[in-house]
Amino acid sequence: MNVETFKYDNRIVRAFAIATVVWGIVGMLVGLLAAVQLFFPDANLNLQFITFGRIRPLHTNAVIFAFVGNGMFMGIYYSLQRLCKARMFSDFISWFHFWGWQSIIVSAALTLPLGFTTSKEYAELEWPIKIAIAVVWVAFTVNLIGTILKRREKHMYVAIWFYLATALTVAVLHVTNSMTMPAGWFKSYSMYAGVQDALVQWWYGHNAVAFFLTTPYLGLMYYFLPKAANRPVFSYRLSIIHFWGLIFLYIWAGPHHLLYTALPDWAQSLGMVFSLMLIAPSWGGMLNGLLTLRGVWDKVRQDPVLKFMVVAVTAYGMATLEGPVMAIKTVNSLSHYTDWTIAHAHSGALGWNGFLTFSMLYFLYPRLYKTQLWSTKLANYHFWIGLLGIMFYIIPIYVAGITEGLMWKQFNKDGFLQYPNFLETIVQIVPMLRLRAIGGTLYLVGVFMMAYNLYRTAKAGEFEPDTEVQAAPLEKTVSSGAHGKLSWHRMLEGKPMIFTVLAVVAILIGGIVEIIPMYLVKENVPTIASVHPYTPLEVLGRDVYIREGCLGCHSQMIRPFRSETERYGEYSKAGEFVYDHPFLWGSERKGPDLAREGGRYPDAWHYNHMDDPRSTSPGSIMPRYPWLLTQKMEMDSLPWRLSALRRIGVPYPAGYENGPAQKDLQAQAEKIVANLKLGSVNAEPDKDIVALIAYLQRLGTDIKNAPVTTAAK
Amino acid sequence: MEQKVICGIEGVGIYGVISILICFTFFTGTFLWVVSLKKNYLKHMEDLPLDGSEKNSTDKNQPTTL
Ligand code: HEC
Repeated sequence: MNVETFKYDNRIVRAFAIATVVWGIVGMLVGLLAAVQLFFPDANLNLQFITFGRIRPLHTNAVIFAFVGNGMFMGIYYSLQRLCKARMFSDFISWFHFWGWQSIIVSAALTLPLGFTTSKEYAELEWPIKIAIAVVWVAFTVNLIGTILKRREKHMYVAIWFYLATALTVAVLHVTNSMTMPAGWFKSYSMYAGVQDALVQWWYGHNAVAFFLTTPYLGLMYYFLPKAANRPVFSYRLSIIHFWGLIFLYIWAGPHHLLYTALPDWAQSLGMVFSLMLIAPSWGGMLNGLLTLRGVWDKVRQDPVLKFMVVAVTAYGMATLEGPVMAIKTVNSLSHYTDWTIAHAHSGALGWNGFLTFSMLYFLYPRLYKTQLWSTKLANYHFWIGLLGIMFYIIPIYVAGITEGLMWKQFNKDGFLQYPNFLETIVQIVPMLRLRAIGGTLYLVGVFMMAYNLYRTAKAGEFEPDTEVQAAPLEKTVSSGAHGKLSWHRMLEGKPMIFTVLAVVAILIGGIVEIIPMYLVKENVPTIASVHPYTPLEVLGRDVYIREGCLGCHSQMIRPFRSETERYGEYSKAGEFVYDHPFLWGSERKGPDLAREGGRYPDAWHYNHMDDPRSTSPGSIMPRYPWLLTQKMEMDSLPWRLSALRRIGVPYPAGYENGPAQKDLQAQAEKIVANLKLGSVNAEPDKDIVALIAYLQRLGTDIKNAPVTTAAK
Repeated sequence: MEQKVICGIEGVGIYGVISILICFTFFTGTFLWVVSLKKNYLKHMEDLPLDGSEKNSTDKNQPTTL
């Protein structure tokens, strides 16, 4: 047998490892800053660039795509080479991937604070960056598949399946959800509107969690956990079921983010049923991980790598049990829009992704540097302080979430809302928000300890840029193997292409069953005659709302419960959103719902409130927006914006943007300025605030004059 | 109102039925496949990530203890 000598590329692994640590610290620091602003709004230093609405997406993007993203690539580049017994397909592509990804992160860190955002959660980056993401992702996929094709090991270990599914599905998701009409270099409008946009967005959002935060990390778990424990995985059969069950079911469950919204009932029910079914493969996977450690629990006690892994896998189990429970409609009616969702997200992010990343880093550094970990003791301290941080983060925020949910729904014995003033419910949870920030700080301190430990490890050892290994090449023809005829499953995973096609089919089935009816629904959403496109001034106001990230705190979707209709007014109808490119339903309420805000307060109230919320609502945690009072509105790009909207179906007359629109805008702005004067406020008609007020006063008014239907469903 | 939207789609009930059927078929298939896997194949796969399996390679970079 001829044996080939070749080298594993460790440089690229180290590069991604460093990026993981650096971006992890940055992302968590930004998260901490956002968390502090929720009880101390002035922590934004009155800078628009670091105000809550703008840095919340920066935090989520940094943690998901920069921290976990780099962590994923680090683990994949290390394990893939070893599982395939081959160097990465192309060193050039590896580095193109690395630097491409880092530049995307840097551009996100620049554009999001500047207010360039699509507002779609976890897909906020504007279209030029989206294109860059697609290009870099394709490079990664080519590198992945290329390596698999030149492998020296006939069979593809289950981890590789997870990597492949990740690469393919993220590509499909990213492209589908990025369908957008540019209106300038850093501005675009989603092709989809209202209900449709919401469905596509959460199909994406849900599966971003599935295929960016879960499947790649499961692949990593199936490699690094047996490796660190030096024991084979508990059941390879179970891992196969885990894989196919997960990728097949996950896709269907997206609508559970939209329960009790204007989304059709059947889609909601589908989302709920499939979410519950997801428990099975998820728990199969968790048990598979934990049972791999049977018989080596004494090792777990000593080895920080295994310790982190145990907590990570347990957190995976907890989060995947909790998720489906939250998808049950009655539970969701309480949990949705509250901090419960935040708690759920963070048990996944801090526990599962964070701890698994840390374990990989502790595993890899000594190996890359051919030495021992500098301090096992420090790593153990990291473990405990990290765990404490998770507890201090999650427990208060659960309490906060449930408290909010209950208070919003509480009626007194006379049948009125017990807490009609939304602010009361926020003031109640502020102590919890403070505790949460302490938890986050502890977690972050742990990360700093790890960074130092890894740095000292690197200092003490000597980096090995390439690991030289030997292996026999794969025989070119598919031989019949040792047992005569090949069984078809062997063919299957022996042939990455067939596998790839099957995996894509599996994820597309769920996607199609969900998405196709949405296209049909579009034609079937009854147009409510009184719903009109936004006026030019309102369009600009809406864009201010998007730019400032108001939807980080405000929903625009009143659910059909009496507790909501009582508080906010008539519940939201699908037909009201036909011109909403993008939809702005939001997913979190740190302030009241704004779907029926129009006409609730005089213009001058909004002016003063935006200047300083505490002047009208003492104790409010809403940030001040003084810059809106002085910044000019984006008149220059108005024609671009209107024609982009027309191109995706908003019926502005042809040529409207060249003159008539500006005239209409002027007239409406003058009217608002006059109204403001009545409230003894002097404002100029060309400021952002005027546009924003126009938009806020429009919200939900379209059907206010239409005949009222009964609220209860 | 939602009811009306949905009824507007021709035969929307079929979606539920199709979904269940696809799922059932899918999982039965997966299950049968997994059960049919051979012991030595599974053993080989399980050993892939571990050092011992790299018979042909001398991965010098794997300290046995941390
Ligand atoms: C940190 C969370 C947060 C952000 C971000 C935020 N708000 Fe608020 N908002 C609140 C809270 C809390 C209240 C309730 C107390 C109050 O009136 O200030 C509120 C109240 C309001 C109200 C009054 C609602 C009512 O009916 O009483 C309006 C209007 C409003 N916000 C608009 C905005 C706009 C526009 C933006 C973006 C430019 C924004 N908010 C950003 C938290 C936030």
